[in-house]
Amino acid sequence: MGESAGSGVLPAPESTSLEVMAHLKTGKCTTVELIRHYLKYLDTTGRDLGAAVEILSDSALAAAQESDARRASGKPLGCLEGVPFTAKMNIATREGTTDAASGMLRGFVASEDSTAVARLRAEGAILVGKSNCDEFAMGASNESSHHGVVHNPWDRDRVPGGSSGGAAALAGSFGWAFHLGSDTGGSIRQPAAFCGATGMKPTWGRVSRRGLVAFGSSLDQIGPLTRDARDAQLVLSVMEGRDPLDATSQSFNPSETSSMKRIGLVSEGLTEAIAPEIRQRTVEVVEQLKKMGHEVVEVSLGTLSKANACYQVIATAEASSNLARFDGIHTGQRVESEDLEELYSKSRRQGFGAEVRRRIMLGTFVLSSGYIDAYYGKAQQVRSEIRQEMLSALDTVDSLMMPVSPFAPFRIGERVSDPLALYACDILTVTANLAGVPAVAIPCGFDSEGLPIGLQWMGKHGDDHRLLDLATSLQDQDDSWRGLPPGGSQ
Amino acid sequence: MSWTTVVGLEIHAQMATQTKMFCACRRGSSTSPNESICPVCVGWPGALPVLQSEAIRCAIRAALCLHCDIQEFSRFDRKNYFYPDLPKGYQISQFYRPYALGGVIPFEREDGSPAELPLVRIHMEEDAGKSVHESDGTSRIDLNRCSSPLLEIVSEPLPMTGKEAASCVRSVRDLLRWVGVCDGDMEKGNLRCDVNVSVMPAESSEYGTRTELKNLNSFVSIERSVLVESARQIEVLTGGGEIRQETRLWDQDREITESMRGKEDSPDYRYFPEPDLPVVQIGSQDVEEQRAALPEMPEIRLSRWLNDYGFPQLETVPLMARRANGDYLEEVIQAGADPSSASNWFRGEILRHLNDRSEKIEDFPVKAAELAALIAAVKEDRLSGGRAKSLLQEALSPAVSLKSLIEDAGSQEQDSDALAEWVDQVMQENPDAIAKIRAGDMKPMGFLMGQIMKLSSGQAHPKKVQELIRSRLS
Repeated sequence: MGESAGSGVLPAPESTSLEVMAHLKTGKCTTVELIRHYLKYLDTTGRDLGAAVEILSDSALAAAQESDARRASGKPLGCLEGVPFTAKMNIATREGTTDAASGMLRGFVASEDSTAVARLRAEGAILVGKSNCDEFAMGASNESSHHGVVHNPWDRDRVPGGSSGGAAALAGSFGWAFHLGSDTGGSIRQPAAFCGATGMKPTWGRVSRRGLVAFGSSLDQIGPLTRDARDAQLVLSVMEGRDPLDATSQSFNPSETSSMKRIGLVSEGLTEAIAPEIRQRTVEVVEQLKKMGHEVVEVSLGTLSKANACYQVIATAEASSNLARFDGIHTGQRVESEDLEELYSKSRRQGFGAEVRRRIMLGTFVLSSGYIDAYYGKAQQVRSEIRQEMLSALDTVDSLMMPVSPFAPFRIGERVSDPLALYACDILTVTANLAGVPAVAIPCGFDSEGLPIGLQWMGKHGDDHRLLDLATSLQDQDDSWRGLPPGGSQ
Repeated sequence: MSWTTVVGLEIHAQMATQTKMFCACRRGSSTSPNESICPVCVGWPGALPVLQSEAIRCAIRAALCLHCDIQEFSRFDRKNYFYPDLPKGYQISQFYRPYALGGVIPFEREDGSPAELPLVRIHMEEDAGKSVHESDGTSRIDLNRCSSPLLEIVSEPLPMTGKEAASCVRSVRDLLRWVGVCDGDMEKGNLRCDVNVSVMPAESSEYGTRTELKNLNSFVSIERSVLVESARQIEVLTGGGEIRQETRLWDQDREITESMRGKEDSPDYRYFPEPDLPVVQIGSQDVEEQRAALPEMPEIRLSRWLNDYGFPQLETVPLMARRANGDYLEEVIQAGADPSSASNWFRGEILRHLNDRSEKIEDFPVKAAELAALIAAVKEDRLSGGRAKSLLQEALSPAVSLKSLIEDAGSQEQDSDALAEWVDQVMQENPDAIAKIRAGDMKPMGFLMGQIMKLSSGQAHPKKVQELIRSRLS
């Protein structure tokens, strides 16, 4: 926009969070002016896209006023001072509801902020709203939310990807803010790729999961969706590290800070199954990397073909257990009934959507006596093979690259009745979750229809910041990511 | 044909920790329902369990006193089932990799010979909440107990009687209490037991099909239910029938067991590794720290008492019943009392006092050192036994210090005027007795002593009284 609101001059709409902070520092506008305008954006475009489902105006403006007061009085400022951010509906926040986009948790208000949100706020970031997502983060198209579908800002007839579709649509359509998503099998990276945003899935355990409504606990990670990798770097550095309230969280020492010289191009990411334009773009980016002085070699990940099946078993198994608590007795919507069995089954049938019910049933089945060895047990074996292969590959190269999605954003409704077609979205993303390694997705141009193409890079456990450095160097070479969709910001 | 009963035990012991297992909520001391709960133990979305180290320390002590093989790496699993008092829809337990394997329960056979029941494993798990079923058909849920730390001690099957099975559980209860792992009150439910029972022909070595008796909550019910269930099985088998593997309930009032569910109806718990908790690592240092923190174990204390103090075996029974009893006694002895007198005082005055009030030694107001001083005063003839006992009684009211009572009494007694008065009065009132004694018949001496003690309300020191009478007569 750039036009003045009140007396101040607002940052350009495509500005990154870091640029917004620099802008605020110059005093060209106040934080209140900035936040007020961003809230207006959420209430218009954000709502039109179906991306913003809760707008926390009162608490955000109060926080903005405090921030302005801090700045005016020369008090110490946080490293995200005044930057607006949103949290996905499955991430607990004091204000607003945390319903995981499910009728089951309709109206649920968390008692505390998730650790990630609390750490961001402590550094001056301002929570402005909650973003739409697939129900319980299960989906790749953001069509299963009880808040309705989310539209892709680059083509509103198309899906934004999922499950963090709201966060991606917001990050892809306007700058300034960053957005927290969660990634269990690609739920940050795939929508980021569909919407032209940068999405980071950290190493499992790097960001506390406390306050994240669990889906597949051994795969889930909270991560940022941003304009660029520098913003992701900053946001991650604030959220990350051991949390005494998540026993699986840990701090990673910066083992290596050297840049990632040797890149492995995953050959399975360039097969016929991948859309030609995406393959083409991948090859072009490889050339770009070579020009930048990187060595790029082809690496085969033979286990990639097993990854999606393995993922479907493990993620649904854990989900079937994680979602058992929504029984209508303690948590979740209760349907009053004559007896207990009926109360359980009615509450769960009514509270959960079709996709969630399907996954609960699948997960229950794969853990059942008589089947557990053939499904869950086998999947665990395959998972350790995947991890082993990934780690051996990462012994020979610094990072592995491949496309995020095998195809471009599809039309809303196109795959909704075909679960397997939807699960196919995940074939290139689930490997990072199964191996627990970090992966960053960045926008790398557009296809002939003007839809964004995203590529991803994976690294060893703990190599998150090195990956983001690599992504930053690419984004410095080609700033096509800066462009906003026509009309997206309106 | 004669039959042998085979019993296997699953003992659930609630650990006596300050907090629950995976959160900092207080354990076990709530007064009203749903008072001690938090997002973690009620399974709110986004809340995560964090293993409290106190539970691990407790579990290590339990494994040490049952001589288990403590595993360096163990893991938690989820046991999935729906129940209203299980808010997460799963219980965090250890199924695939328990923290302790093997071990034994020492127990006594009916003929008094020592025996050992081998253990399969011990694992840690969290307790569920409580459903309170009201008479009007409604049920209420109290989650105070939810996520309290439990140990499940699983034994091998072993031929034994019902009485011996109860003796095994008693032995576990005593040991766990001894090392401070479990309060061991079956009536309060912090120790519960499932019993597997099967029978086989006496000459056979192949165990029969077992049934499981759930949630037995007293030693009597363990003993009786094993007896009744084995008799039922024998009757079925001798009648040509077959035993069905099933879970049965013990009806204490009617003294029968009743089928609850068959094996085919047993729930499918769909165990899988708990992704929210890392592998539990128990290093040798952790084990050694707990070993060092263990109190003197009962068999060692007993043999020391028998050998060093020369206590008769029978006397040790009430002293060994609770570790705190023995600890107090040891303190009294350390403070200078001779062991035999200390034991007499403890078994007599103190236990009587505690039993009358249903109190524990921890509640006893007199410090061990003070009791030792009292015993010493008697030993050194500064106090009579009777006087000492009445001083102890006085000292039981909270505001009174036994130490000052002993000092006061000592100075009173040294006041020989009072003693002389009592002696003179009794001698004057009994001239016949005096005459007999003067004539060399010492029999009335006892009578005089008795009169003087009566007059002095037991305060006169017998030895001094005798000396005084002799000096008056000479």
